[in-house]
Amino acid sequence: MNLFAESVGFGIVTASVIALAAVGLSLQVSVTNFINFAYGDFMTFGAYIAFSANAAGLNFFPAVLVGAAGTGLLGMASNWIVFRPLVKRKSRTLVLLITTVGLSFIVQNVIVLIWGSSAQRYTVSLGRALHIGPFLFTPGDLILIGVAFSLLALLHIFMQYTKFGTSLRATSNNADLAQACGIDTSRVVMGTWAISGCFCAIAGVGLALETNTLRPTVGFNELFVVFGAIILGGIGRVYGAMLGALIIGILTEVSGMFADPAYKGAIAFAVVILVLLIRPQGLLPSRGRSA
Amino acid sequence: MLELADIEFAYGGSKAVAGCSFTVADGLATGLIGPNGAGKSTLIEVIAGGLAPDCGRVVFNGVEIQGLGRAAVARAGIIRTFQTTRELAHLPVLENVVVAAPDQLGESLFASLFLRRRWAAQEAVLRERAEELLDWVGLSKLRSEPAGSLSGGQRRLLEIARALMAQPKLLLLDEPSAGVYPAVRQLIAERIRAIVGQGITVLVIAHNMAFLGEVADDVVVMAEGRVLARGALEEVRRDQLVVAAYLGGGQMRGTS
Amino acid sequence: MLFFIVDLLALGAINSIMAVGLNLQYGQAGILNFTYYTFVAIGAYVAAVTTMGKPKVPPSLEQYVLQWNLPWPVGLLLAGLVAGVAGLLLVLLVIRRLRSDYLAIVTVSVGFILWNIVTNDIPLFNGANGLFSIPYILNGQTASAIEYTVEILAISLVILAACVWVARSIFRSPYGRVLRAIREDEVVAASFGKSLTGSRVGAFVIGCVMGGLAGALLVFYLTAWNPAAFLAEESFILMAAIVIGGPGNYWGAVLGTFVFVEFLTEIARYFPNVGNGDLIGAGRAIFIGVVLIAVVRFRPEGLVPERWLHWYGRPGAGAGPAGPLRSWRRRRSPQLSAGDAQGTADA
Repeated sequence: MNLFAESVGFGIVTASVIALAAVGLSLQVSVTNFINFAYGDFMTFGAYIAFSANAAGLNFFPAVLVGAAGTGLLGMASNWIVFRPLVKRKSRTLVLLITTVGLSFIVQNVIVLIWGSSAQRYTVSLGRALHIGPFLFTPGDLILIGVAFSLLALLHIFMQYTKFGTSLRATSNNADLAQACGIDTSRVVMGTWAISGCFCAIAGVGLALETNTLRPTVGFNELFVVFGAIILGGIGRVYGAMLGALIIGILTEVSGMFADPAYKGAIAFAVVILVLLIRPQGLLPSRGRSA
Repeated sequence: MLELADIEFAYGGSKAVAGCSFTVADGLATGLIGPNGAGKSTLIEVIAGGLAPDCGRVVFNGVEIQGLGRAAVARAGIIRTFQTTRELAHLPVLENVVVAAPDQLGESLFASLFLRRRWAAQEAVLRERAEELLDWVGLSKLRSEPAGSLSGGQRRLLEIARALMAQPKLLLLDEPSAGVYPAVRQLIAERIRAIVGQGITVLVIAHNMAFLGEVADDVVVMAEGRVLARGALEEVRRDQLVVAAYLGGGQMRGTS
Repeated sequence: MLFFIVDLLALGAINSIMAVGLNLQYGQAGILNFTYYTFVAIGAYVAAVTTMGKPKVPPSLEQYVLQWNLPWPVGLLLAGLVAGVAGLLLVLLVIRRLRSDYLAIVTVSVGFILWNIVTNDIPLFNGANGLFSIPYILNGQTASAIEYTVEILAISLVILAACVWVARSIFRSPYGRVLRAIREDEVVAASFGKSLTGSRVGAFVIGCVMGGLAGALLVFYLTAWNPAAFLAEESFILMAAIVIGGPGNYWGAVLGTFVFVEFLTEIARYFPNVGNGDLIGAGRAIFIGVVLIAVVRFRPEGLVPERWLHWYGRPGAGAGPAGPLRSWRRRRSPQLSAGDAQGTADA
C-alpha cells in the first residue's frame, strides 16, 4: 500500500510535467487546427535557454522565466515566418503538419549546433525527500506540482474571465464566426503561440530535471507521451489534456510496481491504444455530432 | 419518394431544426426556401447523411436512412451538390466528373492490379458519358484544367454534371445558383428543368425567388427550423406567416 | 570509387522501394504515416530471424527467436507479408479516426513505443545491440564486396520495378482515382458513395509490404539489424524527402529519397569529419528542414509534380463499349441533347 501511494505520488509529479506540455500543445492545436510536431523541440529549446541562463548566473526561477519567454518568442516567430503564409493560402492540415516536421529538424539541430549533442547535467538541489502523508516527495517535486497546479489554475481563470481568454475560446470553437464577431483572430493566434511556448518551456525544464540530464532529444522523445495525453483527452481539448496527463502520469508510475520499469512508456501507451479502440474521440464527453 | 418526419437537430445548445416534416414528390422539383438560419442547410445535411438527427425519420422510397452516413445515402440514390462548391481542386475537370460514377469495377486494389481488362471497357463508357455531361453544361473545353481554376459559375455547373454522373434518383441542390451571373443562372435553371424532365426528382434550396419560380413546381418554406408553409410559389409568397418570417428576420427577394 | 558508386546505387534502389511504398500511402492515398521505418524494421527483423539459423555466438552477445534457416527468398517474402499484416493491424486501430493529425500522432507514438520495447527486450530482439550475425545471401560469403553489392543491386532493382508497376497500375486505375478523390476531399468522396476506409486500407497495407521488402533487402545487404537505424527521425526524414521530391508522383518520391535520404547520408560518410562530428548530421537535418519548409511554401506539389504523370493510360478496349455495357448505358442515362448547350458558360 505504501509503495502504491508512493507510485501515485510519483505519478502526480510526472503528470504535472506532462500536463503542462499537453495543455500547451492542446491550446495551440485548438486555435490553429494543426499539431506542431516541433513541440517537443520547443520544450528542449526552453530547457536549454533556462539552463544557459542559470549557468550564466541567473537564479533558477528567473532563468526558467527567461526560458519561457524565449520559447514564447520562438513560437511567435515560427507562426510569423512559417505558418501564417500557409494558413493565408488555406493550406490543408496535412501540409501544415509536414511543415512542423521541417521546423522540428531545424530547431533540434540548431540546438545541437549551439550546445552540442552530448548530455548536460541539469540539477537544482532543493533538499531531500520528505514523507508527506503516504507520499514521498522532494521539495523539488512539490514545487513542480505547485507550479503546474497554479499555472493550470491561472490558465483556467484566464480562459474563462479575461477578454483575451474568451476570444481564444471563441476562435478555437469557430474561427470564422469569431472573426465575424470582430475578434482579431491573428492576434489570438499569436498570443496562443506565446502562451503555448511558455507552458512548453516550463514543461521542458521539468522534464530535464526529472532525469537531471539535458540533451537535444529530451523533448522529442517525450512527444509520444504528450500525444498520448492528448489522444486520451481528445485533440484540441485543453481540459481533456489535463485529464489525459493525469491518467498517463499515474498509470506510468503505478505500472512500474507490476512490470519492468523499462516498459513504463509502453504500458501507458497500451492504455492509450485501448482508449483509441473504444472511444476514439477521447474520454471527455463529445461536443457535437456528425454521422 | 422522400419523406421527412419530425426531424430535429441541435448544434450544442441551439436547435437548428425543430420538428420538420414534409414529403418530396416523385418526379418533380421541390423548392426549399427560407430566411437565413432557417435550418435549410442543416436539413439537407441530415438528409444527405452528414448529420444524424436527434430525432425523427428520413424515409427514402420506403427505407429509413437517417444516420446511415453519407456513403450509404449516396449509394441509395440521393446525390447532392454543396452550398460552397466542393470540387476536387487539383484534379482535372473530367476526372472530377468520372469519379462520381457509381459501381465502378476498377475501384478496388485487386481490380486495379489484376483485372484491367474487366474495367477498361467500362472506363471508356464512363469517360464518354462524362464528356457528354460536360458538353451539356458547356464545360467541354475545360476538361483537362484543374477544377480549382474554374470560375464560380463554372464550378456550379461542374457540380451539376458531377451529380448527374452519379445516376441520382433524388438530386439535392444546395443553392445551385448562388453567386453567379444572371446568364449562368439562367443556364442552370434550364438544366435543372431538363433534369426534372428526365424523371429525376429534385430538391432545390434557393434564396432567389425568381430562380425558384423558374425551377420549382412546389415550394416548402422553412423558418427557425420548422416548416411554415407548402404549396405553389405564388400562394406561398402571399402566406401571412411567410411574409412575417421574412419581414421579421430578413428580406424577401423577389427579383434577381 | 567504384565501390562507392555501386554502394550508392544499391542503397538507392532499396531506399527507392521505400519511397514508392510511402508515396503510395501518402502521395496517392493521403495517409500520413510518420513511422514508415517501423515497417521497414519489421521486415528486416523477420528476414533476419527466418534466415539466420542457429546462433553462432554465445547468447550473452546475441539472442533472438525463431532461428530458422529458410532460404532467403522465403525470408524476403515473409518480411513483406508480416510488414503488411502489421500495417493492417495499425490501420484497424485507427480506422474509426482516419483524420490526418490523428494518424500522424498515433503512428509516431507507435514508432516510439516499439523502439522502446525493442531496445529493452533482449530475448526477442537482443536489445539495443541488434542482430549482427545475419548471413550473406547468394554467394556473399565468398564474393568480393563489389560483387555482392551488385547482386543486391540487381535483386533490388527487380523488386523496385515490381513496386513501380504496382504504383503505376494503381495510379492509372479507377482505384487510384478514388484514392485521389478521398485525398482531396473526404466529404465529397463519401457523398458519392465511395468507401473511405475500405479504399485506403489496401493502399496502406501494400505500402507497408513494400517497406518490409526494402527492410529485408537492407538487412541482407548490411548483414546487421540495429534499432538505431530505424529511429523515429529516419521516418520523418523519409517523409520530408517524399514531400520535397513530389508527394503525388512516385518518381518524385524516388528522386527525393535518393537525394535527401541517401545521397546526403552517404556523402557524409565519405568525407572526413569537418570539425565537430555532430556538425554534419545537424547540418544535414537543418538543410532538409529548410528545404522542406521552402518547398511546401513555394512549390507545394514538390520538385516532380503529380501532374507530370499521365492520368489515364490507354484503357484497352477499342472505340465502343462491349455488348452488355451498351444496353446498361442506354437504359440508365437520360437523353441529353447536345444541342441544349449554349456555348461555353463563361460567367
